[in-house]
Amino acid sequence: MSVDEPRRTHFNKEDVRLAATCVASGLLLAVMTGPAGNPESPLEAARLSLFTGHVWGFLLFGIVVAVISVFRRKVRNGEWQSSRAVPRRSMKAYFGDFLASMSTSWWVAFFALAVLLALAIADFTGPYVPGKLSFVQLFTQLHDTRTYGYIGFLWWIINSIRLRRSVHARHGVLPGFMKTPVFRILASAFGGFIFAFCADPWLPERFSFSYFKFGGGSTTAFLSHLPTWLWTACGLLLGVRAVLGERNKTVHANRLRARQFAVSSNTSIALYGIGLFAAFEAPKFLSPFWQEAIFQQIGIFCFLAIGLNIVVGFAGLLDLGYVAFYAIGAYVNAYFSGALPIQPPFILNPFLSIPVAILVAMTAGVLLGLPTLRLRGDYLAIVTLGFGEIVYVLANNLQNLTGGAGGSGVIGNFSINVPLVHLSLNGQALGQDLDFYYLLLAFMIPILILFTSLNNSKVGRSWAAIREDEVAAASLGINGLKYKVMAFAIGASTSGVAGVLSSVKQGILFPSNFALQVSITVLVLVIFGGMGSITGVLIGSAVIGWLLQFLLFHSFIDYQDADKYMYIGALLILTMIFRPQGIWPAKRRAREFHDAEIGLGTADAVGEPAEGPLA
Amino acid sequence: MSEDLIFDVKNVTLRFGGVTSLNDVTLEHRRGEILAVIGPNGAGKTSLFNSLTGVYQPQKGTIDFNSARNGSSAIIGKMPHSVARLGIARTFQASRLFNALTTFENIKVGVESGQKTGPIGAMLRLPRTRHEENASDERALELLEFVGLEHRLNTMADSLPYGDRRRLEIARALGTNPEVLLLDEPAAGTNPVEKQELTNLIRKIGRDFGISVLLIEHDMRLVMALAERLYVLNFGSVIAQGTPDEIRANPTVIDAYLGSTGPDAAKESH
Repeated sequence: MSVDEPRRTHFNKEDVRLAATCVASGLLLAVMTGPAGNPESPLEAARLSLFTGHVWGFLLFGIVVAVISVFRRKVRNGEWQSSRAVPRRSMKAYFGDFLASMSTSWWVAFFALAVLLALAIADFTGPYVPGKLSFVQLFTQLHDTRTYGYIGFLWWIINSIRLRRSVHARHGVLPGFMKTPVFRILASAFGGFIFAFCADPWLPERFSFSYFKFGGGSTTAFLSHLPTWLWTACGLLLGVRAVLGERNKTVHANRLRARQFAVSSNTSIALYGIGLFAAFEAPKFLSPFWQEAIFQQIGIFCFLAIGLNIVVGFAGLLDLGYVAFYAIGAYVNAYFSGALPIQPPFILNPFLSIPVAILVAMTAGVLLGLPTLRLRGDYLAIVTLGFGEIVYVLANNLQNLTGGAGGSGVIGNFSINVPLVHLSLNGQALGQDLDFYYLLLAFMIPILILFTSLNNSKVGRSWAAIREDEVAAASLGINGLKYKVMAFAIGASTSGVAGVLSSVKQGILFPSNFALQVSITVLVLVIFGGMGSITGVLIGSAVIGWLLQFLLFHSFIDYQDADKYMYIGALLILTMIFRPQGIWPAKRRAREFHDAEIGLGTADAVGEPAEGPLA
Repeated sequence: MSEDLIFDVKNVTLRFGGVTSLNDVTLEHRRGEILAVIGPNGAGKTSLFNSLTGVYQPQKGTIDFNSARNGSSAIIGKMPHSVARLGIARTFQASRLFNALTTFENIKVGVESGQKTGPIGAMLRLPRTRHEENASDERALELLEFVGLEHRLNTMADSLPYGDRRRLEIARALGTNPEVLLLDEPAAGTNPVEKQELTNLIRKIGRDFGISVLLIEHDMRLVMALAERLYVLNFGSVIAQGTPDEIRANPTVIDAYLGSTGPDAAKESH
């Protein structure tokens, strides 16, 4: 055991991620400090920033930071040796030294230096004006808020450099009030506010003080801009999380040991932040074609794929009747909207029929799962296929219940009618697309968070164990049937929610919306994206959703909607040949495919454990 | 019955169609004892293990687990996972680790199977879930240190060397807090150094955790060094039982090895 592996110098995925984050931060800084845009073409500012000279400076800055970060990470992990190794110090420690270990004269001197440098940089990187870098021009920069950002940044850097060399650094002595939870939460919220400020590259006058006034329309006034407060709230929540996290230090120590080599939680928070930011902001600037692609296809696809991912990806069960639960959710909503031939006892708003749909779909999932999940592999696929067909045929033939092939009545809108908030939305009318997208997002984000923590919990590990070797899992006391039914029920209820959402969007339900092909398409989304990986199936949904929309508008003149299955099939075959684990596979799943290739265990989507004598 | 038995196997017969795999097997495993079951290939040792863990359901006989403390506790008729919950943990002949999980996660699966966290708690990360997750983290680290794998914390199970796999499997089984540990040929395919380490580890399990151990093994040196008593199976029947010295001198045992597998095996048994 004492045989040490030879120390090899190689870069792993975590290094690449760290470096990419640093370089991306440099670019982000370039965009953030770039010219202001206008509300009509907001992305123009970002584009302009990337084609100005100063982007090179920031890119260089990003690369330097990336090299330093990766180097320090390697040294910390003991992979590289360095005579210049400096023990890792937290931002908090730097900040404490910054505040506590400086004499006033140094502070003043460095502040003056920082102001001068900041004025020069602000002027230099600002838009071209005659008399650039002249005395007057330099002082004009004080009208811009970004100059103050530069001052703070440079002041910080100069002090840090000095402190690093100073023997008097006292390692994180913070003034008492800064350690109180209230202060830390408020500081974090302020951080969110600043982020919101930086993340709005397109607003005019964004670097002037008039930016910070209330009123005057949501496009110009920073303080009446919704994202400002959203990001502030995000900062607030992060602060609360950090404060709560500190309460339980042993947990933290153990986690750190177990994830010694993993990306730091700061990096992953940054990555999630970027994702969230893109999800919030990007759709606003898409062309109508793209907006339609997202709202018509990708949104619902994402929902369905995430639910099926629980069943196929996490628990390893092949479910070909997944669309049945989607149909159940949709028809439950139609029933409570009064859109079906039989009238409900009371009409429910779709918001309220969601819990009912969850309950009904989940019950259906459990009822189907209990007897069928004892079956293995192909048999399970056949039974679920049959179930999907039964629901489809019932929807088609029960004229008096579902309205049959002619379709249901018109389904009600999502509506909220309380003081201050009035909303009525079905996503069909012109201009409602975006609002409907945010509605989807409001459901999607909590689900993503819940499912991610589910996968990282006892339940997720138990699923992985059952998928890999059910006999071994049972020998550890894991009840395979219970966990499989659980996966089925969770997948079914997600699909039920998707059914409610899409039924409102469609307005009228036709049984043909719930044909077998939908199940297959969703399965392709999951397989193509990468089974078991939430990010993967989202990517899969986006790519295939885009493809279908693209085909619809840009394909051959005689392209029919049904032709799409030909393309999806081709895509599936190509995936199977060139990348069977999917575009963005989960770590565990990728491992299983690797093992299967070298002959260790199975990577069967149907989760069939190695049968035969219990060797 | 005054004796404190962990396993009380009486007249167990297990048939697969016309093949009798276990024939009227009676076996007593005392609490805290390291008991070994030996026998030539195909003697029914692994079938016995599978009957004890609920994987196979014998047609005749009774298997009582921990009857002195539990009252009635028949194994036959229970599903494998409920048997495991009673406090019976096992390893497999060919190691069956969860290859796509890390070493740490493998052990956590074992530790967590007895916890109460359900899907709702896991999704919302309720206080109890977090508390249990902490507890299982700590326990898993403890076990990793116990078997000497703490430096392999984040290694994927499939990239472990063979000896480490065996030890990880033992640690995973120990994670379920068993009263008895069933080891199916733990030393198969290991080198002499690893064998010695394994012997020490099994002895420590008995001593430090007070866990009874039932062992199937072909390596006679390891068996004789570890086991307090032995049962010898041949063609599904118990042909001898006793201390290692008694077994060594038993003519029936020598016959069984000589008669079925030739002189090499006889040499090995001495």
